[in-house]
Amino acid sequence: MRKGLKRKDRAELITFYIGNTLCGIDITDIQEINKQTANLTWVPRAPEYVVGVLNLRGMIVTVVDIGKKLGLNPLEAGKHSRNVIVHYNDELVGILVDQVSEVISSDADDIEPAPANLGGVQGEYFSGVLKTDRKLIGILDVHRALSDD
Amino acid sequence: MLIEDEESLQMYVEESLDHMANIENNLLAIEREGGNADPETVNEVFRAAHSIKGGAGLMGLNNIKELSHRVESVLGMIREKKITPDASIISIVLSAFDKLYEMVTHIRESETIDISEEVVSLTGLTTASLPAARKPDVAKMINILPPDGGSPLFRISRLDLDKARKGGRDLYLIEWDLIQDIHEQERSLMEIMKSVSMSGDVLDITMKIEAVGTLEEGIPSRIPILMLYSSRIGEDILPSLFNVERHQVHRVTKTMMVPAEADKPAPARPGAVAPETAQPFATETAFSPEVTMPDVADEDRPAALGTEDPVITEENSGLIIDSLKAPHVKAALSQTSLRVDVKLLDNLMTLAGEMVLSRNQLIQSLTAQNAKTIASAAQRINMVTSELQDVIMRTRMQSIGTIFNKFPRLVRDMSQTLGKKVELTIEGTDVELDKTIIEAISEPLVHLVRNSVDHGIEPPGKRTQLGKSPIGRIHLAALHEAGQVSIEITDDGKGIDDQLIVATALRKGLISERRVADMSRKEKMELILLPGFSTSDKVTDVSGRGVGMDVVKTNLEKLSGTMDIDSVPGKYTTISIKLPLTLAIIPSQIISVSTEKYAIPQVNLDELLRIPADQVKNRIEKVGDAPVVRLRGRLLPLVNLADVLGIEKTYIHPENGLEYSERRQNVADRRSRQHLAETETEDAAPAPAKETRSQSGERIPASRRKAEDRRFHATSAVNIAVVFQGNTRYGLIVDRLLDSEEIVVKPLGRHFKQCREYSGATIMGDGRVSLILDVAGIAQSARLKPLELSEKAQQRAAEEKAAATASDQAKASLLMFANGPDEQFAVSLSLVERIENINLSAIEHVGGKRIIQYRGGALPLFSLSEVADVSPLPESGEIAVIVFSLDGKEIGLMAAPPVDAIEVPITIDSKALKQPGIMGSAIINNHTTLLVDVFEAVKTVYPDWIAGGKAPGHAMAVENKATLLFAEDSDFFRKQVKGFLEEDGYTVLEAANGQEAWELLDTTDQTVDLVITDIEMPVMDGFDLTQKIRNDSRFRHLSVLALTSLAGEEDIVRGKQIGITDYHIKMDREKLLDTVKRQLAADAG
Repeated sequence: MRKGLKRKDRAELITFYIGNTLCGIDITDIQEINKQTANLTWVPRAPEYVVGVLNLRGMIVTVVDIGKKLGLNPLEAGKHSRNVIVHYNDELVGILVDQVSEVISSDADDIEPAPANLGGVQGEYFSGVLKTDRKLIGILDVHRALSDD
Repeated sequence: MLIEDEESLQMYVEESLDHMANIENNLLAIEREGGNADPETVNEVFRAAHSIKGGAGLMGLNNIKELSHRVESVLGMIREKKITPDASIISIVLSAFDKLYEMVTHIRESETIDISEEVVSLTGLTTASLPAARKPDVAKMINILPPDGGSPLFRISRLDLDKARKGGRDLYLIEWDLIQDIHEQERSLMEIMKSVSMSGDVLDITMKIEAVGTLEEGIPSRIPILMLYSSRIGEDILPSLFNVERHQVHRVTKTMMVPAEADKPAPARPGAVAPETAQPFATETAFSPEVTMPDVADEDRPAALGTEDPVITEENSGLIIDSLKAPHVKAALSQTSLRVDVKLLDNLMTLAGEMVLSRNQLIQSLTAQNAKTIASAAQRINMVTSELQDVIMRTRMQSIGTIFNKFPRLVRDMSQTLGKKVELTIEGTDVELDKTIIEAISEPLVHLVRNSVDHGIEPPGKRTQLGKSPIGRIHLAALHEAGQVSIEITDDGKGIDDQLIVATALRKGLISERRVADMSRKEKMELILLPGFSTSDKVTDVSGRGVGMDVVKTNLEKLSGTMDIDSVPGKYTTISIKLPLTLAIIPSQIISVSTEKYAIPQVNLDELLRIPADQVKNRIEKVGDAPVVRLRGRLLPLVNLADVLGIEKTYIHPENGLEYSERRQNVADRRSRQHLAETETEDAAPAPAKETRSQSGERIPASRRKAEDRRFHATSAVNIAVVFQGNTRYGLIVDRLLDSEEIVVKPLGRHFKQCREYSGATIMGDGRVSLILDVAGIAQSARLKPLELSEKAQQRAAEEKAAATASDQAKASLLMFANGPDEQFAVSLSLVERIENINLSAIEHVGGKRIIQYRGGALPLFSLSEVADVSPLPESGEIAVIVFSLDGKEIGLMAAPPVDAIEVPITIDSKALKQPGIMGSAIINNHTTLLVDVFEAVKTVYPDWIAGGKAPGHAMAVENKATLLFAEDSDFFRKQVKGFLEEDGYTVLEAANGQEAWELLDTTDQTVDLVITDIEMPVMDGFDLTQKIRNDSRFRHLSVLALTSLAGEEDIVRGKQIGITDYHIKMDREKLLDTVKRQLAADAG
């Protein structure tokens, strides 16, 4: 029984930095990661955190500066910038990140509830915190972090 | 539970909806034919009810089963001709089917829907026709027990039982195993139901729940279903027929039938309980009274083999109901899936295969770097893609019949309620439209048909009076037309009375009187599309519930459709709707602001306007705070897209390639030298757009302009897309107008839900996303008033418009010509008969005058140099002869070609350059232009022509010395008319508008004998002036002559009502003089 539960709760996370905070997104939430970070179509009058829209094989993808969305400094585009395309409700949303780090396998045992604040980001945007030997990874709750309300 | 899976349920819903699709029309046909109804039609309806019942039993949907059973009974009686279907019976059946429809579409709530009313009515129908002796049988219930004893499985009325066993039929209990007999054989329950129904009748179905076992025992190995079945086929053949084991079929013996106590709750499921105990069971009425009933349970009543407690089935159904009440999904069920022709799917498969092959070909060619094969692969992909698109589109197509078929019922019910007789004919039900359009068009169509029945068709009595057939006709037609679908709704009712509509619109303040004047009949009828309009005198229950035609129109526009009204009062009304076949791909105009391209749907686009730099100042100005453009005499509000979207004006630095913000605030402001230089450099760069960069750089930030600065001073052209949505119409200022393209509409993400400026996005040829503009949303963001401008602005706009109209008149009448090389002349075009080009050598000198042979006579000529001090004409070559008609005689003015008719507003300086034959001068196209007074000129050259010929009238006028008040806003006309009136001996008081005229009339110590007024004037127009005169006792007696270029029929009628004595077309000099004279004489006498 215990074994089964553990297996079910194992997740692979793709990690990246938002500002100084190391964050992870469950790999099953991710459609793809690409380099389409520039030359987006700007949408005037859109919320401030929306960088623009892009064409992903015929789908219109909203691209969000997650730093701005979560109340941190806006992203500075560099050559390591990546666009992490995630499933959000029934659409695709691109999250611009400075740099994609490694893929980490997580275990339910190692996940703890998120603190009220993680590197300046409010705890409510995380579904938990993964403790590894060297660092803390905030597991981003994509749905809450990208909420359009 | 297996049968409760989503798939089966949905399949049942779809099938039932299919069955019900045509029921209404069939029932209406039955109603029409009454006793002679086509047996096949009755059968069809009967079968529909039967299938719905069967499936419902299977699904445990007791309410639906119950109601459909009762409907089936009544239909059975109609089939057997036991009752004659009349309007009241059909009404009951129709409402029962309505309830069934409601339950099927809300399948999860079906058990909670109240069906008692329908059940009572239907039961009333069945029992009413039974012989008294048989009536108790309806209430007598029989329980059917399992062959090995145990709790009753079914409960059935004695009457039904008898019927099921008559005619050599036997009653069977057939046991199916959902897992082994159905699931593992890859059959579906519905299939089995269908095959079983072919050789007998399924009376009831239930599930043997106790055999399934509990959850603890794991997945059940069998799920038995029991069916009560009546058939002529023998016990030995049935198993092989149904593909079941011998032991699964039991003949129902007498021992298995036990009378139930009527007052005890039946072992049926709860949904059926209430109506059962409340009133007797309705029955299958195929039963004929004269047939001797086989003895049933009554006599051979065995000892009860088991309890009659309904434990098992109750539990079962409880489970089902719970699962049915799942909170989500309502009517969505029927919309989430679509039936597609298998042929289309096959076609799609083939195309997908082709696509893969083409891709392989392309990859190979790319590897081989073979340009030729790459090209051929690309071409192939191109073809396959278009075909693929076409086929996929077709899978979304549905026939419009799905909507049209609703209307016979609607019309029937409405005409009954309203006491009207209406015949509906339908054409083109097989025309196909995109699913989304079909869904969205339904409501507007219902509204229009309702309008036709309610407002269009007159009551039979009135129709007879009018000599029409008492039965009104409504024709509904759909047809394909040039890539669009056109739907027409025609009724032969009272039509639309445009006068009534205008009156209503005026009364409700929806339009101004001024606007009515220049409206066509069609435009007037289209006033009913304005928000807040309803022509019906009384608001009826049927239509006119506060949703007017404007909603219909708006809804249609959302679908990129258009609506057109045609009507002849007393005869007919036709409303034509045009819709695109699909919404997914729409033609659009691509425009750009700054560096981004945007798409405007072609349906929202009226026209494209480019105002050249030198006209910007004249044509774009401000009314209040709002920038407007003059467009054919009307003011059109302007919206600057860059301002609405908050796009910062930028330009790209030519050297470092970075963007800088545009520093100019106003178009009028010059860029700094440096900026200017930069733009010029940009010009040199190859730009893909049609226009140069410098033009895109020039913008008109209208809202930022200072209020006192009313004119635009643009140094470049302004590009405007004139757009509209509903009743909002405005000009959208953009940087560039690009191509027209077909675009594929894609939705924007939910993060843009606040952005009303866009209706979606699309992907352009280069793969970039472009936004599709929402014309109505932009109007809202720009705070554009929906109908007109604000009240104050409106007033001003009216003045401006009047001024514009006045200058239009001036424009229209100018013919420009030259005499000497540097002198430019103009003459009122309205005086010109025609222009002839002649050679100077054709001129003859006769009696000191010059003439030419012309149309079989002699046309006298003169040149301006004979009259005024102007340079002479060239002496050889071609000249133009401008022919005037004066006093019925023609005279030609020689001029140097070319002559040109122009339209400009002019201001006349009547002093500086005044001389004989020249009334004054004006600046036209930056040239000083002399305005020719033709009368004076001719009088100078041929003194006996005008003065002499008109001597008697002239003398009389001089004698009378009457004083005329003349109101006219155009300087040009006022001077001309005043000139010839004075020449005729009258004293003329002039005023530039109605207000001035009134003040003059009110204050002058001269006695005014006659008023001559223009109609279209700023501040106060001719109508208002007349009204004021008529309302003042001092002046009431005065005759008022209207002098106008706009003598529309409406104007004349209105003017006469107000008290205008007579109308005159401007510049008909002789006629006017004549009328003035006669009118004065009449007034004096």
